[in-house]
Amino acid sequence: MNENENSFESLRRLLAFKNRETPPPGYFDSFSSNVLGRIRAGESSAPEGFSAGASWLVKVLQAFEFKPAFAGTFALGLCMVLVFGIVYAERPDAVSQSLLTQSAQITAPTAMTGTPDFTQQAETSGLIATTNPVLNLDSVATLFNQPNQLAQQVSFTVPGN
Amino acid sequence: MTMIMAEPVERTELEPPAPEQESELVRRARKGDLEAYDDLVKRYQERIYATIYHMTSNHEDANDLAQESFIKAFQALKSFKGGSSFYTWLYRIAVNKTINFLKQRKNRTHMSLNDIDFNAEHDPDLMALISDKTPRRAAALTELQKKLNEALLKLSEPHRLVVVLHDVQGQSHEEIAEIMNCNIGTVRSRLFYARQQMQAELADYLK
Repeated sequence: MNENENSFESLRRLLAFKNRETPPPGYFDSFSSNVLGRIRAGESSAPEGFSAGASWLVKVLQAFEFKPAFAGTFALGLCMVLVFGIVYAERPDAVSQSLLTQSAQITAPTAMTGTPDFTQQAETSGLIATTNPVLNLDSVATLFNQPNQLAQQVSFTVPGN
Repeated sequence: MTMIMAEPVERTELEPPAPEQESELVRRARKGDLEAYDDLVKRYQERIYATIYHMTSNHEDANDLAQESFIKAFQALKSFKGGSSFYTWLYRIAVNKTINFLKQRKNRTHMSLNDIDFNAEHDPDLMALISDKTPRRAAALTELQKKLNEALLKLSEPHRLVVVLHDVQGQSHEEIAEIMNCNIGTVRSRLFYARQQMQAELADYLK
């Protein structure tokens, strides 16, 4: 390393010239008072409620600045949430959507007969969207103990009679 | 019996202040004592300003960034755990702020250079470098200053920082490693590479 130091000796002497560059005379006389003035101004301009409420935010931002690993972890977490959201949104819910339209068509005659459209109510309340087996009319009709007008009478013979 | 009065020892510019005093000032400043913080600012203002100035080659930018660094340090004092000296911690804030600023500024470089110290014209080392270039010393010095700053600005920020801290400000490899949060080997290799680059850029002055 000493060899390197020697080979760069003239460069070092040249670089020492940078120390000859000085700010305007008296510049440092007012420097600290300017800094303190800005600190005081910052303290007085920040409303108390704001400083108290935003203190956690300031701490988080400071953590980002001083701990790059924290910022990286936070960014990674955000990315994972985003990816999860995209994957979840692209799940084959389209099937249930098509089934919903089918159920709407099937229940349309019930509206014409004057009975309330429970399918629509259930759909708006989110009951059908994911769990309801929409082709099973019984489950819809029996939600509020209403008679299922589409149900057909079944006649059968009991063995032995 | 004769009493020998100890002569007051003049503190050199780079000598750090007594640690006890500094820790006491930091303790008071943490409690919001602006008078104590004023003392801390006065201790380090020249070195912090100089580092930023040599990194940016712009007085106005250096002024803003130095002030903002001290303000930021005051606001973050509560998070200062004392794992390193206040001086190193403050340097880190200033250096991070400056590097972030330079990254945002990218290629929009505008030099606003400070005046050269009058005594520079009487520096024999310096005069030896430029005396045979031109008889007009002042013009030659200004030209040299410009070339030097241009060569520095061509370096990447980490390389420039190592050169500034070591070759301009005289800090040790260990101190620089602590400020830059890297190991000494990295500091040395960066310094070697940066010097090579600088040597190539300033070849005319180094023959």
